[in-house]
Amino acid sequence: MDCVTTLKILVIGESGVGKSSIILAFTTGDYNSSFPATIGVDYKCKVMEVNGLKVKLGIWDTAGQERYRTLTNSFYRDAHGAILVYDVSEPKTLQKLNEWVDELQVYSTKKNIVCLVVGNKIDKDRAVSREAGQAFAQKHRMLFIESSAKTQEGINLAFEELVQKIIETPGLWESTGSSSNIRVTSEERSQQESSCYDYTCSI
Amino acid sequence: MDDVLDEVVSSEDLEKFEKVFHEQLHQGNVTHKAQFEYAWCLVRSKYATDIRKGILLLKELFNSHAEGKRDYLFYLAIGNARIKEYNKALHYIKRFLEIEPTNQQVLALERQINKRMETEGLVGMAVAGGAVLALGGLVGLGIALASRK
Ligand SMILES: Nc1nc2c(ncn2[C@@H]2O[C@H](COP(=O)(O)OP(=O)(O)O)[C@@H](O)[C@H]2O)c(=O)[nH]1
Ligand SMILES: [Mg+2]
Repeated sequence: MDCVTTLKILVIGESGVGKSSIILAFTTGDYNSSFPATIGVDYKCKVMEVNGLKVKLGIWDTAGQERYRTLTNSFYRDAHGAILVYDVSEPKTLQKLNEWVDELQVYSTKKNIVCLVVGNKIDKDRAVSREAGQAFAQKHRMLFIESSAKTQEGINLAFEELVQKIIETPGLWESTGSSSNIRVTSEERSQQESSCYDYTCSI
Repeated sequence: MDDVLDEVVSSEDLEKFEKVFHEQLHQGNVTHKAQFEYAWCLVRSKYATDIRKGILLLKELFNSHAEGKRDYLFYLAIGNARIKEYNKALHYIKRFLEIEPTNQQVLALERQINKRMETEGLVGMAVAGGAVLALGGLVGLGIALASRK
């Protein structure tokens, strides 16, 4: 059976909260205790079944570093869902999520994008209560879940809840018809335009 | 879109960062940031001429700005892979893995490149081009997996 649709899911939050680890745990079941910082933007695909429907997820992992901040704005475009991650052992990562919420509001183009707040690293000593995370999510009308990429706890559930909610949101997604390969892209830059460039590098 | 090599920059982004870069170029003072942002867009363009420009800009950064080396190496690999210069791409990946041998983002890119070479029937060329070690590793893994059963 073919996938009924492809959903774009963003994973955002401060550097080091476990965004890449959550994606790795979800897509492969692996865990890496010394995960190097993500370069730019990473992308992973996974097919998932919800309500008996096969759905393809395109999961975008953003680097939290400053140098990529101006570059990631376009990645919010057309996203169906966003996962906002904080670290339950680092209270300031939850405070910082406010900035990510603002950014999401500015750049996301789908008005009814579904958001999920994830409190990660519950295998560690916690410094943020479950209630505090829940209150944050409620305030912004977002879903909430706690997880550990290390023990896998809550990881699948997080994606299931998010995708389920997206599928149940009318008008948010379109099913891929039989002519799904003919997608209109906005890359209408002409060959000519791109080749008239006269800067030469001094290497 | 199945992997990072399929990702195409929006024309909006490309134009935005091109503008910043050219403005700085005219003032005779291009920052690393502006050059990188423009190069990052170029290597994700669908036009080979853009990608080649991006590769030049990244090489220049690589030689002048030690701090961002891992980012430059990674996007040099992406750019070369996107214009099917697979041997060069694998060369940059190899250099990256010398510094971070277990970086899964880079290992995933290596797998994607190998997959493309395979489907495009270029594996023989890779061996000739010096990727013997990488392939040997894969074959070794295959044998290890097979003998585990
Ligand atoms: N104890 C524990 N450590 C984690 C967990 N998730 C990630 N980490 C570690 O936290 C560090 C940062 O993770 P990473 O996924 O790179 O964070 P990112 O910058 O948000 O992508 C890595 O060293 C991970 O091994 C978790 O659930 N529990
Ligand atoms: Mg990361």
